[in-house]
Amino acid sequence: MLRVTNPMQEQFLYFVQQLLNGLTIGSTYALIAIGYTMVYGIIGMINFAHGEVYMIGTYIAFIVIAGLTYMGLESMPMIFMAALLVSMVVAATYGFSIERVAYRPLRGRTRLLALISAIGMSIFLQNFVRLFQGSRDIAIPTLISGGWTFGDASTFEASLSYMQVIIWVVTLITMAALTLFITRSKWGRACRACAQDLGMTNLLGINTNNIIALTFVVGAALAAVAGLLLGLYYGVVNPYIGFIAGLKAFTAAVLGGIGSIPGAMLGGILLGITEAMTSAYFSSEYKDVVAFSLLVLVLLFRPWGLLGKPEVEKI
Amino acid sequence: MKFSKTLLGLATSAALMGATAAQAEIKIALAGPVTGPVAQYGDMQFTGAKMAIEQINKAGGVNGEMLEAVVYDDACEPKQATAVANKIVNDGIQLVVGHLCSSSTEPASDIYEDEGIMMVTAASTSPTITEKGYQLIFRTIGLDSLQGPFAANFIINDIKPERVAIIHDKQQYGEGLATSVKDELDKAGVNVVMFEGVTSGDKDFSALIGKLKKENIDFVYYGGYHPELGLLLRQSSEKGFDAQFMGPEGVGNPDITAIAGAASEGLLVTLPNSFDQDPKNAELVAAFKAKEQDPSGAFVFPAYSAVQIMADAMSAVGELDTYAMADYIRGNSFSTPTGELSFDAKGDLKEFSFVVYEWHDDGSKTPVK
Repeated sequence: MLRVTNPMQEQFLYFVQQLLNGLTIGSTYALIAIGYTMVYGIIGMINFAHGEVYMIGTYIAFIVIAGLTYMGLESMPMIFMAALLVSMVVAATYGFSIERVAYRPLRGRTRLLALISAIGMSIFLQNFVRLFQGSRDIAIPTLISGGWTFGDASTFEASLSYMQVIIWVVTLITMAALTLFITRSKWGRACRACAQDLGMTNLLGINTNNIIALTFVVGAALAAVAGLLLGLYYGVVNPYIGFIAGLKAFTAAVLGGIGSIPGAMLGGILLGITEAMTSAYFSSEYKDVVAFSLLVLVLLFRPWGLLGKPEVEKI
Repeated sequence: MKFSKTLLGLATSAALMGATAAQAEIKIALAGPVTGPVAQYGDMQFTGAKMAIEQINKAGGVNGEMLEAVVYDDACEPKQATAVANKIVNDGIQLVVGHLCSSSTEPASDIYEDEGIMMVTAASTSPTITEKGYQLIFRTIGLDSLQGPFAANFIINDIKPERVAIIHDKQQYGEGLATSVKDELDKAGVNVVMFEGVTSGDKDFSALIGKLKKENIDFVYYGGYHPELGLLLRQSSEKGFDAQFMGPEGVGNPDITAIAGAASEGLLVTLPNSFDQDPKNAELVAAFKAKEQDPSGAFVFPAYSAVQIMADAMSAVGELDTYAMADYIRGNSFSTPTGELSFDAKGDLKEFSFVVYEWHDDGSKTPVK
């Protein structure tokens, strides 16, 4: 076989390819991680049922896509927007209900109680979906295909699919909107106030119960965005995807500094790229080993995460 | 109303008395998943075994006694399986067809061996089950350790690939198969460039595919199940990686087409022989079809053979003596719908043939060799 390009270029293209792959996985980790970090930032609790909300978001998106395609709608942007809207609304409803049913009655008691309740909720949702949708993988055909390729096919060709670009763009827009919401809006200010001092905010006349419900709703809606994007990217869903995705996103949130929104974004992308690079240059068997070693290392030297703030002991 | 009920009661008891008076019954326990995620495989086993029992009874039973099937549900859970095994012991049943999942069969077979109960599994393929030197445990299906070398042979002689990658899912079944394929390929001097595990449940294989592309792999053997391979195929075709893929029977079911779509076209799969396609079995297939049952499942015919072997041994020995029957089974060969079967000292089949199929994107398959 005649090699026209030089080996350096091949190595570089390979590196770029793996960077793009890592960035794609990382973006969606980040979207899910925000749900963990927002809730933790305000009530100091880890919402283990968050991964299941992501899973439900994917199911809803698939149902909408299948339904609209069945009714004869062919415009892809229309289907995409409809699926996005419906899955966000339904997932937000789940987020709201989960908080109302499983966490609010336990507020003010020991944190351990809420944690157990969260794990219970996660198991409940997983099995609830399994009962109604079956435990087998449900697949949809590739809706958005095609992409760009770089380099020479005879040596190594890097590829970038339209779907990957859509994932970045949607993630970027969502993150920007969230940042604006948190920093500029009245509700966002209330959220930040709650994160600083829940009791004091309550005294100052803000209904903290509503603000806490709001964080659950926003987090769940973002998980649904990730659900739709990853659902379209991989094309399959089963009731168990929430567990692994939740675990990875939680890791991303801790890595970036739990409680910090930019931290969740950074943590997600860092985790995604670490995984891709490990698969690329060592072995995919060691992907999780390296990713979690990184987490341990970061926590050894910066227990508060990359962008988190060290907790000051209040006297 | 009252009258008719009494009449019905009388009729039933008369019928029951008639039955018991005419002949005693030999119970055969059918153990496997009736519920749970793999219940469909349990169905295959029950269908085959029940058909065998029905046909043997129609032909006059065994030594003048009728066979009766009793179904036990282990849900493919090891814990349930031991409970089921103990229940079978307490119910005084001497013959068991089952279990289905290797992880259930392993703990249950210990109990049967201790209690002098004969067990024949028609579905468990893990080699470790028969490695403990049991006397009363048999199986009518091929082992994982036969399938790997068979696949390797096909790769060496028919595909002759230049650069091979072997991927597995790091589980007992998948990694075991992948390792045995790799060993055979290494012996034959085939260039195995990559041997890597993926995590079962993973959804993203883009980094792995990038690596396969860079290494110029032209053949991939996957040891594992369909959910991961389906995604691997789908993402490979999206990323323009077009090597030949091959997998074991764990990937050969229509779900892989649902996941991979057009990318499942051309996939090679090793599967046990399709006994329902064998012209010798046409009559039996018609009997299944007459009852609206599907004879194409992988475990239907092995389960039929399992019952038949027990019945043959019993009629040769002349009584229900499991140890004498076990000796008879080891010493003779049996002509069954799954072929001429003979057993080695461990209780495994001496021979079991696999077939390589080519998968198509409508979920169908055609034999290659």
